[in-house]
Amino acid sequence: MDYFATVLISSLSSASILLIATLGLAVVFGLMGVINLAHGEFIMMGAYSALTATQLGIPFILAIPVAVLVTMVFGALVEIIIIRRLYGRLFDTMLATWGLSLALYQGAVLIFGSVSPGIGMPQINFNVGDYTLAAYPIFMILVAAVMLAGIYALLTRTVYGMKARAAIQVPDMARAIGIDSARTNTLTFAIGCGLAGFAGAILLPIVPATPSMGFAFVIKAFLTVVIAGPVTLAGSALAAIGVGTGASVVASFMTSVAGDLFFFILTVVLLRLYPLGVSAKWRIKL
Amino acid sequence: MKTILSGVCALALTASLSMGTAVAGTKIGAIFDLTGGLNIYGIQQNNALQLAVEEINANGGVLGEPIEVISYDAQSELSKYTQFANTAILRDKITALFAGLTSSSREAIRPIVRKANIPYFYSSLYEGGACDKVTFVTGSSASQQMSKLIEWGVSTYGPKIYIMAPDYNFGTISAHWVHEYATRNGGEVVGEDFLPLTVSDYAPTLQKIQAAKPDFVVALPVGANQTGFLEQFAAAGLKDRIGIVSTNYGSGNQQVVVSPQAGKGIIASAGYFMEVANDQNAKFVKKWQAKYGTDTPIVSGAVDVWNAVHLWALAVNKANSSETEAVIKALESGLSFDAPNGKVSLDSKSHHLNQNIYIAEGNADHGFDILVTFTDVPAVFEADKCDLVKDPGLAEHFTPES
Repeated sequence: MDYFATVLISSLSSASILLIATLGLAVVFGLMGVINLAHGEFIMMGAYSALTATQLGIPFILAIPVAVLVTMVFGALVEIIIIRRLYGRLFDTMLATWGLSLALYQGAVLIFGSVSPGIGMPQINFNVGDYTLAAYPIFMILVAAVMLAGIYALLTRTVYGMKARAAIQVPDMARAIGIDSARTNTLTFAIGCGLAGFAGAILLPIVPATPSMGFAFVIKAFLTVVIAGPVTLAGSALAAIGVGTGASVVASFMTSVAGDLFFFILTVVLLRLYPLGVSAKWRIKL
Repeated sequence: MKTILSGVCALALTASLSMGTAVAGTKIGAIFDLTGGLNIYGIQQNNALQLAVEEINANGGVLGEPIEVISYDAQSELSKYTQFANTAILRDKITALFAGLTSSSREAIRPIVRKANIPYFYSSLYEGGACDKVTFVTGSSASQQMSKLIEWGVSTYGPKIYIMAPDYNFGTISAHWVHEYATRNGGEVVGEDFLPLTVSDYAPTLQKIQAAKPDFVVALPVGANQTGFLEQFAAAGLKDRIGIVSTNYGSGNQQVVVSPQAGKGIIASAGYFMEVANDQNAKFVKKWQAKYGTDTPIVSGAVDVWNAVHLWALAVNKANSSETEAVIKALESGLSFDAPNGKVSLDSKSHHLNQNIYIAEGNADHGFDILVTFTDVPAVFEADKCDLVKDPGLAEHFTPES
């Protein structure tokens, strides 16, 4: 019984970690139709920004906004220099962002070397019966929920949010009523990258900063977005919690390999049943 | 098209001509991963080779001539190893090859050097079992490290063992040795989890470890993601009641990556730690740091390459020839060498090194304190399976099951 409870809690935390790593990708893909294969490297950039900030003496909690800012600015530059020229050309953007991911990866190797000191997790833990759980990963459940609510509010309650949705849903009409869709898209891409940076920073205590850390996230994050389908936020949340929790529970009762297998097989099955994503027929838009 | 072709031919001709005239002394080839994901190891391996050659050349080289190094970057890609091994042998006419990190890279190179009949040195800790007349292994094998580590672990922590290992041959074969030496030392494996290299969240593994209640965990994390396991293990508060030991922790400077609170108390066993105290190591570290700086600690793979180059040079000078037959005969004559990791001697039958195995404990300053030194440990499994003096035609990769 205790075992089952700890498995459930820690599986939910695994799913939340997946969701945190996915949301930036989901926003960019959902609102702009751009698949950013360099998403993992933006996470990596966020992690290194936060790490560098803490090494300069900034407390970790303040290093997170620094990481978000760095990745947002870099994301905006990438949008202006590369992405903007490739709108509507899905495969070209994939190729370009993949190239960018290789360049960023090797850039990180050159700048930071292949090993950097980690910052460690807060040594706080609590007991469920005979079992001990680290507090920080569990805290990620809350972080994911807040992140989700924040993005929802940003897209529905702010002028930018309305513009962003208008610019992508009916670009001609949006331009006709005076929305600068180019600038809105730059901001949307920057926000997506900022979310990736946030993920890298907040997960830094769990996943140490290394040049190759992006690879670990990008495949599962990408699949989560594909399973989710057109309803960006609710779809991604459901997909991450469903597939992520399921995989983690399987890993706990069987082996980690079985957990991974479950993740990928479930993805195949879901896409066979819902070729356009699980949210294809939903009425809500976010 | 024709002009381009002839231009290329002319260029190739000039290149080969100029190389023909530039012959200095004995040529050796080096193929390591200087870029890409494996360069944590590859750069240091290559640095060690350059440093060893410099030292040998300063002392007169081999056969009275300086050694010339032809170096290639394998870019952490397997296909580059075969490509550059062929190039180095066919075009550059090297007389010995120093290359490879992963077992797959070694297995890709082995048929090529065997066909070309060139001595090949593989310098990395690995799962063990390589057995080939032209191949010489200077890293420590899984059975070599595990034999001492499990004995020490059972007597220090208690008999119950949990295994956390990567899900490929290094992990599974190492796990086999844990089982084997657990039984021999009165221990028992109470659970094991083999993990894909892409897993970054270890909550399920930590639950299973707690359910199995082991006295200590044998953790063999490979790659950046699996280093996170150590962090999560510590944060869950398990380090206080469960020991954690490893044969590869530190081999890629993981002790620098993990935080002091997670790294303190982790037990590692290896053929070399930078903290090893002897005169040779003091000289070696000084020389290394003068050339490459003090930023990153020296890994065991670097010392394995250093030893390989020195053993080869000793053999060439002893044979008074760089011809393959003569060099292999000299290498099989019971060579030994005062290395940074203590005295090493080449076992003529298995082509592996008898060398010290150190057990060290991670400290709070991203470093190690040496706890125990086991001297002159043989590569147990390889010495048992592989006799290249009696059977020079052997070309096998033995696994414990076979």
